[in-house]
Amino acid sequence: MKLLLIKGIHFLLSLMGRGGSLPGTIALKMDADILKKFKMPEKVIMVTGTNGKTTTSNLIVESFAKAGYRVIGNRKGDNLKEGIVTLLCTHSSLRYEVQADVVVLEVDELTVMRVFKDLGVTTFVVNNFFRDQLDRAGEMETIVRRIESVLDDYEGHLILNANDPNVVRLADRAKKADIHYYGVGKNAVSSETSNEASEGKFCPRCGRPLHYDYYQYSHIGKFACECGFGKNDIEYFVDAIDYENETFTMNQKTYHSFQNAIYAIYNCAAVLCCMGVNGVSDECANEVFKTFTMHKGRNELFDLNGKCLLNLVKNPTGANEVMKAIMKNHEDKNIMIILNDHDQDGRDVSWIWDAHFDLLIDEHTKRILCSGTRAYDIALRMKYEGYENIEVYEHVEDGIIRLKELKEDAYVIATYTALQSTRSIIRRHAS
Amino acid sequence: MNLKICWMYHDLMDLYGDKGNVQVLKIRAQKRHIECIVDTCSLKEEKDLSNYDLLFIGGGADKEQSLLVEDLLSRKENIQKAMDEGSFVLLICGGYQLFGKYYLDGDGNKIEGLGFFDYYTESASRDVRCIGNIAIEADVEGEKFKAVGFENHGGQTKNVSTPFGRVLSGQGNSFGCGFEGFYNGSVLGTYMHGPLLPKNPQIADLILRKALKKRYGDVKLEQLDDTLENKAREVMLTRILKA
Repeated sequence: MKLLLIKGIHFLLSLMGRGGSLPGTIALKMDADILKKFKMPEKVIMVTGTNGKTTTSNLIVESFAKAGYRVIGNRKGDNLKEGIVTLLCTHSSLRYEVQADVVVLEVDELTVMRVFKDLGVTTFVVNNFFRDQLDRAGEMETIVRRIESVLDDYEGHLILNANDPNVVRLADRAKKADIHYYGVGKNAVSSETSNEASEGKFCPRCGRPLHYDYYQYSHIGKFACECGFGKNDIEYFVDAIDYENETFTMNQKTYHSFQNAIYAIYNCAAVLCCMGVNGVSDECANEVFKTFTMHKGRNELFDLNGKCLLNLVKNPTGANEVMKAIMKNHEDKNIMIILNDHDQDGRDVSWIWDAHFDLLIDEHTKRILCSGTRAYDIALRMKYEGYENIEVYEHVEDGIIRLKELKEDAYVIATYTALQSTRSIIRRHAS
Repeated sequence: MNLKICWMYHDLMDLYGDKGNVQVLKIRAQKRHIECIVDTCSLKEEKDLSNYDLLFIGGGADKEQSLLVEDLLSRKENIQKAMDEGSFVLLICGGYQLFGKYYLDGDGNKIEGLGFFDYYTESASRDVRCIGNIAIEADVEGEKFKAVGFENHGGQTKNVSTPFGRVLSGQGNSFGCGFEGFYNGSVLGTYMHGPLLPKNPQIADLILRKALKKRYGDVKLEQLDDTLENKAREVMLTRILKA
């Protein structure tokens, strides 16, 4: 009966163009234990980690679909408990039988602990742990410990990024799980030193300094400790990346990458590992990589009286990668940064000082426009990097109009809650 | 004229953008044509800290904090010498805690502090932290001014004889205690991240004057254009105090 009501609410909301987590919120109010009631299918895939979980889980959804499975997933990033409940309510019979062969769930790191055991997870994928929204978790250690706490009795597949020490650390707790590693070898962007790595300095097992053979980005790379930590067999290992042709090779086979960036290769490796352990042909994933498009507002191109590229930034690691990509273009440009501090952005904006905004400064960057609820914070960040051509716009639209008037290419980067509203504004002014 | 800063444990105690404080001090010194030398000092490095005008330690997670405490304690006499000779000390969060008697962390481990001051810190349980925007009214040698920041700490610091300021909104040294930080004229300890200095240029300049005093006596700092800084602070003050 309750389920019928929730389905009704979801239907009405979707007629109004809404949906997301509200039906789940109502369902949880009516029955706090509703998650325990669902009869889950044989394959339940959960993906967590700081960066790339939406992309990775969407790639997994599409790969299963390509292989002919009936698959559902919280594809729009509704990754809290409420969003998961909404998804299951709308895709189950009135007897709580989930009507799919595979459920793929992207789950927020701090939410994993609250839902893991009720969902009957059969494959658990952990991407990476970067500093992100520490105003919610307090410390990185808290996040890792909470995820560790679900692993003691877990007997399914555990898919881990072998190049992130905080992820590899989970294996020590998952004694009963079937562990599979993926990783990426040395390539054109690898380097022996890093000025981006804020984690991964010490061995999580023994506390001695970790040694890195190479870094890929942030603290992701090939590490090891003299105690033996980090020495694992990597089943799904990318041994070469061809950035020119946008391909990579794994176990002697060549695959397409859906985006020409190192972090995207990691997402592909996670997907191939997930499909492999679930007995699905890698060809299905490769087909998906060829045609996959990112979510709206992520690396999206507009014509705003010239080129205008919109991107999302959420945390130092993601921001560094976005900025590196922007600076590959050596044309004159104006850059607009929209920094909000709502709950979903992180109320603490100090992360902008951990990110390398100095990357944006060269002779081609003509102006930096600052906006958002913390416009002045990002303006100060640029000022104390020694940059002078700063313009502050308290209203995003005024900044976009200014970008349109200027002749140079435009790059807009926005935090989570600013992304879709900024996208609408750009679309209004774009031709 | 030059200013010598030693940024201690830069590789371990660098959470929540605290490195921005060093950046702000450096740029604000350079704009006054004061050369600014920033050295770092981490575990097992031999360095005479009394050679510096300013010592800085930022915040770190519990784990990092426990890794460095032995090294820090081995420098106790040297830090005392630096303070006696007039070096100024800026401490954020974890650094602030370690200058007190002890720190009891979230797992119940007691970490001995330098014990220069009588305050001590005990962690609230692992799931309870003081997190959020904070506004204070600082009271420094008769001069009162408002400052903003972001606090994020489990540690509850008690028995602070001379706080840095009065809390206008937020928690401060411990839940609901009404006071924030520690200030005694030569050491400023605070839980305010943000980082602290970009939006609070009066504090940055206070620190610069105090640090320069060691070798140059009273220095008058040229006024800078702080329009952006003041605007950034005002925006947050208005928002925080209205809530």
